[in-house]
Amino acid sequence: MSESEAVRAEVETMLGLVRERYGSRLSAEELDSVRTAIEGIVQAAHVLRAVRLANADEPGQPFAAYRADP
Amino acid sequence: MSAEDVVFTPVRRLGELIRERRLSPVALAETFLDRLERLGPRYNAVVTVTRARALEQARRAEAEIAAGRYRGPLHGIPYGAKDLLATSGGIPTTWGAAPFKDRVFDFDATAILKLEAAGAVLCAKLAMVELAGGMGYRQPNAAFTGPGVNPWSRDAWSGGSSSGAGSAVAAGLVPFAIGSETWGSILSPAGNCGVAGLRPTYGRVSRHGAMALCWTLDKLGPLGLTADDCGLVLEAIAGRDPADPTTVDRPFHHEPAGPAGRRFRFGVLRAVTDGCEEAVRENFERSLGVLRQIGTVEEVALPDLPYDDITRTILFAEAASAFEDLIESGAMRGLTAPEDRYTAYARDAILAKDYLKALRLRGVMAREVDRVLAPLQALVAPGRATEAAPLDGEVRSAIRGTARDVMGAVGNGAGLPAVVVPNGFGPRGLPTSLQFMGRAWEEQTVLAAACAYQSLTDWHERHPDMS
Repeated sequence: MSESEAVRAEVETMLGLVRERYGSRLSAEELDSVRTAIEGIVQAAHVLRAVRLANADEPGQPFAAYRADP
Repeated sequence: MSAEDVVFTPVRRLGELIRERRLSPVALAETFLDRLERLGPRYNAVVTVTRARALEQARRAEAEIAAGRYRGPLHGIPYGAKDLLATSGGIPTTWGAAPFKDRVFDFDATAILKLEAAGAVLCAKLAMVELAGGMGYRQPNAAFTGPGVNPWSRDAWSGGSSSGAGSAVAAGLVPFAIGSETWGSILSPAGNCGVAGLRPTYGRVSRHGAMALCWTLDKLGPLGLTADDCGLVLEAIAGRDPADPTTVDRPFHHEPAGPAGRRFRFGVLRAVTDGCEEAVRENFERSLGVLRQIGTVEEVALPDLPYDDITRTILFAEAASAFEDLIESGAMRGLTAPEDRYTAYARDAILAKDYLKALRLRGVMAREVDRVLAPLQALVAPGRATEAAPLDGEVRSAIRGTARDVMGAVGNGAGLPAVVVPNGFGPRGLPTSLQFMGRAWEEQTVLAAACAYQSLTDWHERHPDMS
């Protein structure tokens, strides 16, 4: 499967998810707009996935343990 | 001295006049309250004029100063706050969104409390794009208060999303304002309206009591007539706050001017003006000529990373979570811009793994941009690629991917400070702007550079025709 085919397939899968969850609220025109937005999200995800990281590359915003002051 | 005479006077000078008791805080508040009530509607700049609270604070300031208890340069200075900062006393906090237009909090945001402690006078809650623009709006008319109108042209937008903050300062409705930025929401309205705007380092200013759009991207910062004024305000609102664990205990002190004859080393990202309007490019080139009088300018490059995709993915995912209730319940239907009522449904398509990848790449991005910035005082770039959008046009946005904004993606993704100041006008008579972005916690450095630029130019001394 080419990259563009993979993106298209993922868009349709995600659109199906959105349709399942919210389809009753959306007109055909609105659903088309949602599809366009999903295309942007999926394309961005594919770009991010293509960048290789090392195991030690942590998120830029680490979690901090919490303890209330006495 | 008449309070009306000082409408377009910078905060620093107003503070001197008040300290010398040549200007009454009560008279000054009355002047700006009158302008907010009379002119605010013209620009859709105001949600609530806080007259009672303002006069109470102004009277207190006047009494304290008369008694010799002068608190500092903001004592008795009126200001406005973007309407996503919680305010007590029955003053609504609407987030610019119709579903929340009657909502009232019983506490004040930390930034509001800090300004009160500095003696500043809250005169208005200022209009904003609904939910700070996080739902995918494509047009200026995306607030229940109407589209933000630009004081330089009533056919042009003032936003966003701190649209009221930008227009209120530019129109002389308040001497300074507090805005917020997740991606572009301080720099854009400041640039569009021809005023100064400062985006502090992430963690410099407490977000407690501010609407959360994206926990790891949101920053609060000032808009004012000059970069110097922004520094004065930042000093008042900066600092660690136990209520916001992302704040840090790093001191910030603003000096009005750096050492005489200070030289700066500026960097310009390769191809940073690609996609800019011709006037924006020309004004930027002219600005570089000015900057060469106070330092050197060199071209620099960032490594090839998907900066826009990193920051956009974080923004979309966090905003979808922050407003989960609104999205799931369908209450988004009450928003003003039609596209804000459904676009966020698409964000269910963001996988947790992709969000985490974006967070991990953010770490790489932060290190890489710091490496590039380390030998420099600032990266400089156009504040905006275009003049302000027409009121009836579509807003180009890097967040939606319809414009390119590497500086914004990197600056917000890595949480870096930036200041924007006016640097000319475009063919429609609207301001263009210049931004200075620095290393984390180097607000004073970028402010010093911006102040030096403003000492050599007079764009900040021009004001829109209010007749």
